[in-house]
Amino acid sequence: MARSIVALAIMLFPQYTRADLPLHERIDRAIESALEGPPAAPASDAEFLRRAYLDLAGMVPTSTEARVFLDDPSPYKRERLIDTLLSGPRFARRMRDVFDVAWMERLPDKYVPSAAWRAFLLRAFQENRPYDQIVREVLSADGTDPATRPAAKFLLDREADANNLTRDMGRMFLGRDMQCAQCHDHPLIDDYKQAHYYGLFAFVSRTTLYDQPGAGKVLAEKGEGDVTFTSVFKKKITNATGPRLLDGPAIAEPAIAKGQEYFVGPKEKARTVPAFSRRAQLPNALLTTDVSAFDRAIANRLWSVLMGRGLVHPLELDHSGNPPSHPELLDDLTRSIKAMKYDMRAFLREVALTRAYQRSSEPRPEASDSQMEPSRYAVAPLRKLSPEQLGWSVMQALGFVEASRRGAEDRYLTRDPKMRDILETTVGKRQRAELLEAAVEDQLAGNLGPFIQRFAAAPGQPQDAGDPTVHQALFLANGEPIQSWLNPSGVNLTARLNALTDPGAIGEELYLSILSRRPAEEERAEVAQHLKDRDKDKGPAIKELAWALLSSAEFRFNH
Amino acid sequence: MKRCSHACGSAEHLTSRRQFLGTVAAGVGAASGLGTFVRPLVADELTRQERQVLVVWLAGGASQLETWDPKPGTDTGGPFRSIETSVPGTRISELMPLTAKQMHRIALVRGLNTKENDHGKGHYMMHTGRPQMPGVVYPHLGSIAAKYVTPETSPLPGYIHITPGGGGLSSADAAFLGPKYGALHLGNGQPPANTVRPASLNDLGASAREAVFQHANDRFAKRRRTAETEAYTSTFEQAKQLMARREVFDVTKEPERDFDRYGRHDFGRHCLLARRLLDAGVTFVQVTHSNYDTHNENFDFHLEQVGEFDQGFATLLEDLGASGRLQHTLVIVMSEFGRTPKINPWYGRDHWGNAWSIALAGVGITAGNVVGKTNANGTAVVDREVGAGHLFHTYMKALGLDTKESVDVNGQDFFLADPSATHIPELLA
Amino acid sequence: MTSVDGPAVGPEKAFILRELTHKQPLIACRFAPAHPFVFATSEDRNVLRWDLNSASADPVAFSGHDGWVFALNFTDGGQSLLTGGADGVLTWWPLAADGPMPSRSIQAHGGWLRSIAVAADGHAIATAGNDRIVRLWSPSGEKLMELPGHERPIYSLAWGPDGTLVSGDLKGVVIEWDHRAGKEARRFDAAKLYKYEGGQGVDYGGVREMAFSADGKYLACAGLIEASNPLGAVSNPAVLLFDRAEGKENGPLLQRSKEDVKGVGWGLRFHPGGFIVLVAGGTGGGNLWFFKPGETNEFARFKLPNTARGLDLHADGLRVATTHHDGKLRITALHAKPA
Repeated sequence: MARSIVALAIMLFPQYTRADLPLHERIDRAIESALEGPPAAPASDAEFLRRAYLDLAGMVPTSTEARVFLDDPSPYKRERLIDTLLSGPRFARRMRDVFDVAWMERLPDKYVPSAAWRAFLLRAFQENRPYDQIVREVLSADGTDPATRPAAKFLLDREADANNLTRDMGRMFLGRDMQCAQCHDHPLIDDYKQAHYYGLFAFVSRTTLYDQPGAGKVLAEKGEGDVTFTSVFKKKITNATGPRLLDGPAIAEPAIAKGQEYFVGPKEKARTVPAFSRRAQLPNALLTTDVSAFDRAIANRLWSVLMGRGLVHPLELDHSGNPPSHPELLDDLTRSIKAMKYDMRAFLREVALTRAYQRSSEPRPEASDSQMEPSRYAVAPLRKLSPEQLGWSVMQALGFVEASRRGAEDRYLTRDPKMRDILETTVGKRQRAELLEAAVEDQLAGNLGPFIQRFAAAPGQPQDAGDPTVHQALFLANGEPIQSWLNPSGVNLTARLNALTDPGAIGEELYLSILSRRPAEEERAEVAQHLKDRDKDKGPAIKELAWALLSSAEFRFNH
Repeated sequence: MKRCSHACGSAEHLTSRRQFLGTVAAGVGAASGLGTFVRPLVADELTRQERQVLVVWLAGGASQLETWDPKPGTDTGGPFRSIETSVPGTRISELMPLTAKQMHRIALVRGLNTKENDHGKGHYMMHTGRPQMPGVVYPHLGSIAAKYVTPETSPLPGYIHITPGGGGLSSADAAFLGPKYGALHLGNGQPPANTVRPASLNDLGASAREAVFQHANDRFAKRRRTAETEAYTSTFEQAKQLMARREVFDVTKEPERDFDRYGRHDFGRHCLLARRLLDAGVTFVQVTHSNYDTHNENFDFHLEQVGEFDQGFATLLEDLGASGRLQHTLVIVMSEFGRTPKINPWYGRDHWGNAWSIALAGVGITAGNVVGKTNANGTAVVDREVGAGHLFHTYMKALGLDTKESVDVNGQDFFLADPSATHIPELLA
Repeated sequence: MTSVDGPAVGPEKAFILRELTHKQPLIACRFAPAHPFVFATSEDRNVLRWDLNSASADPVAFSGHDGWVFALNFTDGGQSLLTGGADGVLTWWPLAADGPMPSRSIQAHGGWLRSIAVAADGHAIATAGNDRIVRLWSPSGEKLMELPGHERPIYSLAWGPDGTLVSGDLKGVVIEWDHRAGKEARRFDAAKLYKYEGGQGVDYGGVREMAFSADGKYLACAGLIEASNPLGAVSNPAVLLFDRAEGKENGPLLQRSKEDVKGVGWGLRFHPGGFIVLVAGGTGGGNLWFFKPGETNEFARFKLPNTARGLDLHADGLRVATTHHDGKLRITALHAKPA
C-alpha cells in the first residue's frame, strides 16, 4: 500500500522527486503543498536563533552571541549559523544526549557505566560517524574488548534478555513496537506479525550473559537452540523461525554437524563461542537487506529531533494503520539518508534549512485549529526543553558557562605557555574550542543532576511525554542551585547587571542573556519601572527580574 | 490512533485546567480571562474524589505466621501464641494485641499465593497487580489513585509515601501515567524539599518577582495556543498553594499525647503523620515500616517490628474509625511476600509467596471477614486461593475505579488492571 | 588442668562422645546437678530428658508450656526442674518422675521468659525476659522482689559466687543488682555486643548469656559483633570479658575467633579450669571456642557438625552439652579419646 501511494505521488507531483532540487527545498514543497492555508510567518531572527542553539548546541546562546547574530545584516546569516553550530563542539554533545536518551531511556546502569557509553557516543558524533556504523558498533560489541565495551551497553545492560532486546531493537532501530506481537499477531496492528517478532528474536535468543573474571559481564552465545512460537489463538500450530528481519529473506545458516556447534563449548569453563553466531548476522541484516524500516526509522527520528514530532508519530508505531503525515516526504527522507551515507549532520542541516523548521511558533490569528494541526508543520511547536537543555540553558543564561569557559581559557592560554604554544601553533581553532568545551563540561555537568531528577520522565518511559509537576515549580521557585546562582558573583549575569546603571542597558542585557532577544518597549518599561519601584534594593530587584524570566514559559519552552 | 495532542488545546485538557484555576487561583482567574467556571462534578465522581487510601508496607516481607495467620503448636508455628480478637473465631498473633481489638474493622486475605519470592518482583507485583515482565512497566496503585481519584483542584500531591529512608520524588511508580503522578517521598517524615521560600526573598520581593513572571507568561501566551504553557504556569500556582499548606507535613503540630498513643518510634510518628495527611485530604498515603526480611532470628525481629506496627497501626485504624474517615478510606497492609513456614537453622524464616496473608479495611471492604485459608501448619492454601491481580482489581473496585480503564501510551492501549484477573467479591461490601 | 579423678582436661582434643536425637530442632540444654540427666528444649514446645546412664535414646517429654521453652534451671537441691519460655510461665517439675507433671506454675512475666538463674545458696530464683523486669522468687514460688531498670528485653541473668545478681539486655546494658536493697549497684557497658542497623531499621545483638569465673573476678558476656547484616545472619560471635575490680568495668576485653567464622555467641560457661567455653552457631556452622582471660583469640576450637544454639558444662568439667537445629543434643568430651 505504501508503495502505491508513492507511485501515485510521483505521478501527480513529479516535482517532489526532482533530484536537482536540494533536499530542504523538496521538504518544503512537500510540506507546503499539503497545507490548508497560509502557514505561520517565518520565525524572527531571535526565534530562529534560540531554536537553532537549543536544537543544535543544546543550550541558549550567550548575550554576546545573540547580539552578534541579531545585529548581523547578512541575508545568509541563518545558514551560516546552522553551519557554525553543526561544526561547533556542542553539536556532538547535544546528539550524544539525544541518542543516549533514545537508546538507554535513562535506565539505571547495570554493567557498563553511563559515562563510558556517553563518551563512546560523544566520540562517534565528534567524528560524525555514519549512523549505520554506530549501530553496527552498538550491536557488534560483546563487552570482551575494553576498547569497544562501552558500545556494548545497549545489549549488556538489557541483560541480553531476548524479549527485552527484541522489543527495544524493534522500537529503536525499526520504528516498530512489536511487544504486542509476542504472543500472537498484533491484535490492533495488521502489519505487526508474530513471525516478525520471533524473526528478530532469533538473532539474539542464543545470546546470554557470561561473568568473565576481570572483565565483568560479557556476552556469550550458544551454538544451538531454535526458536518456535505458538499463537495463543492457535495453540495447535507451532511455527519455527530462524533469524529473519521483518519480511526480508531468512538468514542463510551453514549446516553444522552435531558436536561441531561451538568454538568454545559449554563444557569449558569459559565464555561460549558458537561456530556460527546468529547475533553477528544482525547488523548486516539491518543494513544490507532492502527492508527500509531501518532507514525510515532514523530519517523519522532525526526529523523529529528538529521538528518536534515524527512524520510517523509516535516514532515507534510505523505501520500502515498509522501512516506518515507526509508519506512521499518520508520516502524521500528515507532514500536520502541512505544516499547521504547516513551522514546525520548533513541530514539535519537540510532539515534546519527548511522554511518549515524556520517558522514562527505564533500561529496566524485567523488560522483554524485544523490548519494549525501539529502534523501539518504549519506553525512551530512549543517543545519543553529536555532536562539537559534546561540545565545548560539556565547555566548559560546566568553566565556560568561563559565563566567556566573563560576560566579554562585562562588556565590553558595564560598560565600554561607550553599549552598555549601547542594550541596556537599546531592545533587548529576547532580543537581549541573542543578542549575548552570539554573543560566546561567537566566543571559544570555535575549540576545537571537536580534538573534530570525533576524534569526527566521515569526510566524506560517515553521521555518527551508527561505533564509538568508542582515539584518542578517548587524547585525553580525555591530550590538550589538556582537561588545561589542568582546571587552576583564573578562575571555571572546578576553581577554584570548590577554593574550597569542605565535601566535600558540592564533590560537589554537581561533579555538577551535569558530569552535571547531584545526586550519590547513594554518590557523595557517594565524593567525600568521595577528598578525604580525598588530603587533602594537594586540587587534584589535584579535577582527578581532574572528569576521571573528564567522561570517563565518563554524560557521553559523551545518555541 | 486517537491520541490527544495537548498542543492543539484539546477540550479535555483545557477543562481540567480551567477547573483548577477557577477554584484555587482567585487572584489569577480574572486576569487569565478564564473566569470562575467550574465543571460540575457528577455524583459518582464526587464520591470517588472523597476516597482515600492508606497502605502500610511491611518492607522485606512480614511473616504471616507472626501476624495474620498464626499456627501455634505446630512444627512451623514458632514460639508465639495466638490471641482472640474482637471478631469471634478469628485469632491473630499475640504480637498484635491492639490490632486484635480493631479486628472488627479488618478483613483478612489468608489464601494469597503470589508464587513470587524475589523482593523486587514481589514489590512490583503487589503494587501493580501484575508479574514483572521485561520491557513494560505498569503504574503503582498510588499513581493510579493520584491520577484518577485526586481532584485536579487539589493543591496537595495525590501520592505521598512516608519512608524510613530518603525523601524526594519517584516518577518511576507512575510509569506511563507521567511524573506528575509519581510518589512524593517524605524521608523519615520530613516535609518535601523546596517548600520554603528562599530566606533572601522577602514578601515584597516575592510579589514583585511574581508580577514580572506573570506578565512575561501572559505576553508569551497571548499569541500562542496555550494548553501547554497554562499547564506549566499553573504548577507555580499549585506550588504557592502547597507552600501555604506546608504545615500539613509537620507532624509536630499534632497533640503531644498522640505521640504516646502511636508510639515513640519512627513508625508511630509516621503513622501519626499519615493521619495528618489523610485528614488534610491527601488521596494516597503509604507508610513503609522497615524491615521484616528476617532470614535470621525471625522471632526476635518480629517481636520488635510487629510490636511497633501494632501500636502505630491499631491506633491509626482506631482514629480513622472514630473520625468516620475509614468510611471512605481503603486500608491495605501488605508486603512483597510472606515468610516460609519452615524455620531455618538461624531461627529465621525465608521468602515465601505461596501461602500468605494481607489485611484490608475501610471503604468497600467487608469488615470482620476472613477470605481464604491455609492448611494446619500453613504450608499451602486450601481454600479460596487468590493472587496479586485479584487483590488489585479489588482495590480498584473499592475505590470506585473502572477496572477496564486503559491508557494510550504512544499510540498503544495499556490496561491499568491485569485483564486476566478479577476482583474478589467476598471481600467487597 | 586436671579434674579430680578423670582424664586431663584438654579442649584441643575434644571429640563427640554421644548424640541424642529428637525429631524437632532443639533450643536450650542443661545437665542436672543431682541426677544423671541432661535436659533440652525443643521447637515442639517440649522439654526433653535423657538419662545419660541409659542406652535408650528416647527422651521423656515434659509437656505443658504454651510456647517454646528458652530457659532451664534447677532448685530443691537438684530435685526440681525449673522451666520458662515464650508463654512467660515459670514452671516447677519433679525432674526424676516417670510421667512428669508440673508441680507449680506461675505467670512470671508478660511476654517471653528468657532466663532463669538460681542463687548459689539456693535462696532465690531470678527470672527475666521481654517485659524488662527482673523478678526474684523464693524456691517455693513466692515473689520476693521486682527489679525494674532495663529499657529493652532482658536476655540473660547470672548469679556470682558472692551472691551478686547481674542481668543483661538487648542493647548490652548489664546491671549488677544490690538485690538486698532492691536497687542497682552498678552497670557494665556491653554495648559492643549491640548494633542498630539503620538501613534495615533493626536492633540486634544483646547479651545472650553471662557467666562468672569461679573466683568472681570476671564476668563474661556472650554475644556478637560486626553485625553488618543482622537480617541476613551476618555477624561474628564474641565474648566481652569484664574485670569486676572497681574501676575496670569500662575496659572489657573483647574476645573473638582468629578466623572469620560467622555466627552468634549463644551461650558460655566459665570452666573450673579458668577458661571460657563459648558456643556459637550461624552461617559459619556450630563451633565451640575456648578463650583464656587476657587473650583476645581462642586457644582451641572444636567444630560441631551442625549449627549450635545452647550450651551447658557438666559439673565434672569434662563434658559439654550443645543443642542443634538438626534435633540432636551432642555431648562433647573435653579430653583426649581413651586409647
